[in-house]
Amino acid sequence: MECLQKTKKKVLMKGNYAIANAAVMAGCECYFGYPITPQSEIGEFMSGKMQELKRAYVSAESELAAINMVIGACSTGAKAMTSSSSCAVSLMQEAISYASADELPIVLVSVMRGGPGLGNIYPSQGDYNQAVIGGGNGDYQTIVLAPSTVQECVDLTYKAFYLAHKYKNPTILLADGLLGQMMEPVEFTEYPYPEIDNSSWALSGAKGRNGRIIRSYAPLAENQCVFLNKLYGKYKQIEENETEWEEIDTEDADIVLISFGSPSRNVKSAMKICRKEGLKVGFLRPITLWPFPSKRIAELSKKVKMFLDIEVNMGQMLKDVKLAVNGAVPVEFFNRPVGNPPEVDDIVNKIREIMK
Amino acid sequence: MAVQTFKLPKSLKEGAKFSFCPGCDHGVAVRILAEVLDELGLTENTITATSIGCSVTIYDFINVDAIEAPHGRALAEATGIKRARPDKCVFTYQGDGDFASIGIGESLHCALRGENITAICINNTTYGMTGGQLGPTTLLGQKTTTSPTGRNVEYYGYPIKIAEHIALCDGTAYSARVSLDTVANIKKAKQAIKKAFEIQMKGLGFTFIEILSTCPTNWKMTPEQAHDRVRNQMMEVFKPGVYKDITAEKTV
Amino acid sequence: MGKIVIDESRCKACYLCIDECPKKLIKKSEKTNKLGDHLVEFCDPNNECLGCAMCATRCPDLAICEVYKG
Repeated sequence: MECLQKTKKKVLMKGNYAIANAAVMAGCECYFGYPITPQSEIGEFMSGKMQELKRAYVSAESELAAINMVIGACSTGAKAMTSSSSCAVSLMQEAISYASADELPIVLVSVMRGGPGLGNIYPSQGDYNQAVIGGGNGDYQTIVLAPSTVQECVDLTYKAFYLAHKYKNPTILLADGLLGQMMEPVEFTEYPYPEIDNSSWALSGAKGRNGRIIRSYAPLAENQCVFLNKLYGKYKQIEENETEWEEIDTEDADIVLISFGSPSRNVKSAMKICRKEGLKVGFLRPITLWPFPSKRIAELSKKVKMFLDIEVNMGQMLKDVKLAVNGAVPVEFFNRPVGNPPEVDDIVNKIREIMK
Repeated sequence: MAVQTFKLPKSLKEGAKFSFCPGCDHGVAVRILAEVLDELGLTENTITATSIGCSVTIYDFINVDAIEAPHGRALAEATGIKRARPDKCVFTYQGDGDFASIGIGESLHCALRGENITAICINNTTYGMTGGQLGPTTLLGQKTTTSPTGRNVEYYGYPIKIAEHIALCDGTAYSARVSLDTVANIKKAKQAIKKAFEIQMKGLGFTFIEILSTCPTNWKMTPEQAHDRVRNQMMEVFKPGVYKDITAEKTV
Repeated sequence: MGKIVIDESRCKACYLCIDECPKKLIKKSEKTNKLGDHLVEFCDPNNECLGCAMCATRCPDLAICEVYKG
């Protein structure tokens, strides 16, 4: 597949290819990956494109190796990424913890499929917890961006590289099998963010200076206390500066629908139908799953009568919504455990039912 | 006029004091590695990926850029470094558990890809830092804290001959096993390390040195007895030698 | 007429150098380290040291940090 540079008009493209193409345009210098459905097109695209551009590409022997290669490349200040899916992202949790402690700008594209275990290759949102909470050891936090359209896959891939390097923090683009496999018209702009200077920390050989050590081993508890406080200071900054969400018609809403990723499109359609029926329905879609728009949800909870959280899992973001609402009003839940998002009609019926 | 015949290598950090146990060969390995970096003028152009175990502390002693890899993943990180910055000298310094047990996938595939990286593996037949458990290179019959009656095949299987395995990989340019039990062997070990770095910088492929080393503390021996064990028991199984050298083949 | 310099702060009393010296010029010292182990000292009353640096090459702890030859 041809690599598209800045496009003047929209082109029809599969989500996985769009993510890969956007990564190339964002200046990704190194791609390391291991195949897994439903994201294998990313690695396939990269294998040809990176070689053509004389950038680094490795078909890694495992996901463990792939993400650690990303860590190695990032330690030199390079823009590097890997992509994977659910059960294989599980294998990467150790490295994500290390990269958080090392404060390295690794970018991971996680295209969710059904779980737990091998599960299946249908779309799912079952890895909200895996991405937002994480399964690595210790106190850490990754930035998580959740696109809902193929265009947003492009825009948020750019942003993932930017935020990762700006904050020296692992960043996850959390898409799902539906977005990865569907085709939509997209437009590629130039990479819209400034390049981050990393000369103060990147490993480049100790020329004219002492050797730099990127490490997480802190034999003394006091040192680790200082480090963790500093790390959480950074996380606070990210929460203040980077929380992003989409919000529609919440001003007069009685109920606010909350949904992220591809299912939010059906939720938005359901909202519009309900509005036509005169039901005062608003819509809020977290774009950054971490930092989560808790503050905004807390504000809304003071004026709306209830929330309806809709996900394709058993209720993972639901816990964060409930924490933000903090008991102020009821939080209802509507889901499909795995597969395609709930149908618009079903969502509308659920809204009608709970608004009675 | 006195001539200085020995001085500490410049690649060591000023005032470096090793944290290894008394008589441990790690110290010798780190020093000769630093001497090689000095002699080849590589110190300012080198990045290392360290491992987990006693070997992790190398970044406290050698004055090069370093990243600490998770257990077994040093050669994956080294691959990332080398692919991102092919002009840098990249090496790993790992224990046998890191290289040949938890990290054997990364190690073999790094060799198979023929990455221009030098891997140094300290083989002391045990997990030293955690207190002397059975490792991938523990000899048959050897008592450890997890093989209290000695390694038997029924429960534990066989030790791995690392240098031989790595030599079988087509991407390997150089694979050698050396020891540090005598001054003569220390000098040979240094030459092997030097050769490996030279081959790396020529871009000829993966280079590997297995260093037979002691762990007097966990072997419950004096440093002197430990060297006897290297000679009399380890070398019987892990025979020192050059198992692959593509530069030698070319001259034939 | 060679000589060696021993950095006592680095010596861990493993005594590997003692056997290594071809002229047997290194011996256990009366001085002890923090652990009560006797360090080593260089004893060369007859100027026999060859400056061969075998002791320094053997020393695993950088304690024999300088060697000079004749």
